Amino acid sequence: MAVMETGTHRWEHCAIPASPGGTGPGWGPARTGVVPAATTPVRRSGPIWTPLAGPELLDRLRFTGRPRPVADAERADSLRQFLEEGLEPLGREPGVHEGSVARPPLVVTKARLTEAHSRPGPRAAGDRAPTPAIACGILIGVLFRQLITTGSIGDPVADGFGALAVDDRHADLLAWVGRLPDDQRRALDAEVRRQAEGLVRRWPALDPAWLPRTEEPMRADLAGGAVVLAARVDLAVGRPGLDVASVAVVEVKSGARRGEHRDDLGFYALIEALRHPAPPFAVATYYTRTGELDVEPVSDELLWAAADRTVAGALALAACTPPDGGERRVTGGRTLAGTGRPGEHGTIPG
Amino acid sequence: MSTAAEVTDSIIRPPTALLGPEAAARARQRLSQEVPALVDRLPSGDQVVVSLAQLRRLGSDPTPGAGVEDPFAWKPRFVRRSLGLAAIGACLDGRARSPHEAVGPVADRAVDEWERSGWRTFHWEPWFAALGGGARAAVLAESATWATQLWTSLDWRRFRPPPRLGGPDDQWACPAPRTVHLKGRSELRVVVPGDAGSPPGTVLVSVSGGSPRPDCEVELGYLALVAALRSPSRPVPARVVGLWPDTARHVVVDITEEVLDDAGTLVLGGLEAMVSDAATGLGAPADGEPDGHPAGGSTGDRRAVPVRTGAAPG
Repeated sequence: MAVMETGTHRWEHCAIPASPGGTGPGWGPARTGVVPAATTPVRRSGPIWTPLAGPELLDRLRFTGRPRPVADAERADSLRQFLEEGLEPLGREPGVHEGSVARPPLVVTKARLTEAHSRPGPRAAGDRAPTPAIACGILIGVLFRQLITTGSIGDPVADGFGALAVDDRHADLLAWVGRLPDDQRRALDAEVRRQAEGLVRRWPALDPAWLPRTEEPMRADLAGGAVVLAARVDLAVGRPGLDVASVAVVEVKSGARRGEHRDDLGFYALIEALRHPAPPFAVATYYTRTGELDVEPVSDELLWAAADRTVAGALALAACTPPDGGERRVTGGRTLAGTGRPGEHGTIPG
Repeated sequence: MSTAAEVTDSIIRPPTALLGPEAAARARQRLSQEVPALVDRLPSGDQVVVSLAQLRRLGSDPTPGAGVEDPFAWKPRFVRRSLGLAAIGACLDGRARSPHEAVGPVADRAVDEWERSGWRTFHWEPWFAALGGGARAAVLAESATWATQLWTSLDWRRFRPPPRLGGPDDQWACPAPRTVHLKGRSELRVVVPGDAGSPPGTVLVSVSGGSPRPDCEVELGYLALVAALRSPSRPVPARVVGLWPDTARHVVVDITEEVLDDAGTLVLGGLEAMVSDAATGLGAPADGEPDGHPAGGSTGDRRAVPVRTGAAPG
């Protein structure tokens, strides 16, 4: 079996099963070359891609092929200055304090940035309606967290819903899942099990010395506190604040690869670069549906592109968000039904 | 942004000045004089509990009822402080290489001890013991992340002796017809040597989520105020350092009489708002303490417990 490495992918020349399409509700068609669950394989010659697993997966994250960025106060200052200047129109009036009711901060998250760039114009405040895909994503998120923390997953469905049940931010989602028709519920459970099995099979235990932390909140205040860049990353490893970048960030996605995922990574890198003298050395997206790991080495170019996009997005968000409410609420960090991610829609992570 | 070295420097540098017991006595006298009139509107037998978390809520949202919390129920984020600090203790003792490695064994040991002796070190043991695997993992993950953020925010090798982790809340009960309890909670207490033969001082370290607010120095001063009020024989803390790991920022407040005075003013303002809420029915009586354990337990995560205005049950 010939194997060749192409960036993040390893291709093995052997039989490839057919990919007939979706594997569950709301997930869309499977990617070519990936074996979907419950399909009848059709043998044909050609390359088959197999996901990285075990030490290879971690090595892919650790070794980006580029030198790691060094701590550079000038870079951090320049980025902050650029953001401050760009966001100056959103700054507070004199005498108005941060976090005051009169002028709550504009909370900029990856989801809101994507929304601002993809759908300019006024938008209604409110929750994103749950879908099976969103429910799957949230369940896989907590199962990934469990796997990283404890090294194992029992019954994925029981464990996933058990974790959500102790977090009142997910009450609406749980109620929604409880109302799903039986066939959709079975499909959801099956997909959660399939993706969780992939996680367990491929993700090795992390060395405690890597200081793994899951759902780590990170934020940066700008424009005198009028703008907050906020994120919560699925996994961060490495010690921050060293002379050479040591932190890597991994975002877990249960759906298909999308263009904005790369932008999300840039946003994470930007916030981390504003928090610590050294940015992360790598930001990555792990696709649980397929086992793909897209690793982005962090460079000045990536950080500046993220800063550009953040300024433009924040200005667009501010232009179409009511100043006295809507998505600018700071009402206690409650997440929204369906997203499962505090802070993505105008609330500040608690 | 703050590096671990900078934050640690700010904690362990010698105290600039140490307040004597007379400063604490003046603060105590002021509150003892002004608080009773403020709480006089409450029904007889009511009690008021003031905490930093509640003062922050009132400060960020002064609308009526903002200081009132939902009824208490255990959640992963209510456990993270006590379990996280215990995990850091395991790292300092050399029992674990990181909080990530420590949280599971520490939690298991606490549950074992509770099942064996009935003694609850953290108060959450019965709740945690009844959880399934997924929910337990959520608790451990939340604690590991919280603790790792704190663990990487400081250079722990430079603390000699090691800081005291957690410990009982500072509490002071103001003598008034309606009891007023002030509670202060710090994550670390560090004894730092004085300069050139001057006496050592105590530094309190407070860890918070989010970002520091503009008036965070007064809020940090509140912790020193409660520590100073707690006992006439205990020295006033020399300094309070606030850590906000989410933003990697820290704020240092050297404790002076002015800081204590400002903190006293913060308390009085907060009390006024709480009493007003209670008078309008927004501060409903608390439903009692979860699990029957006393308020302000030794190392439990009491920050989340219903700290409310209003009448005590019964």
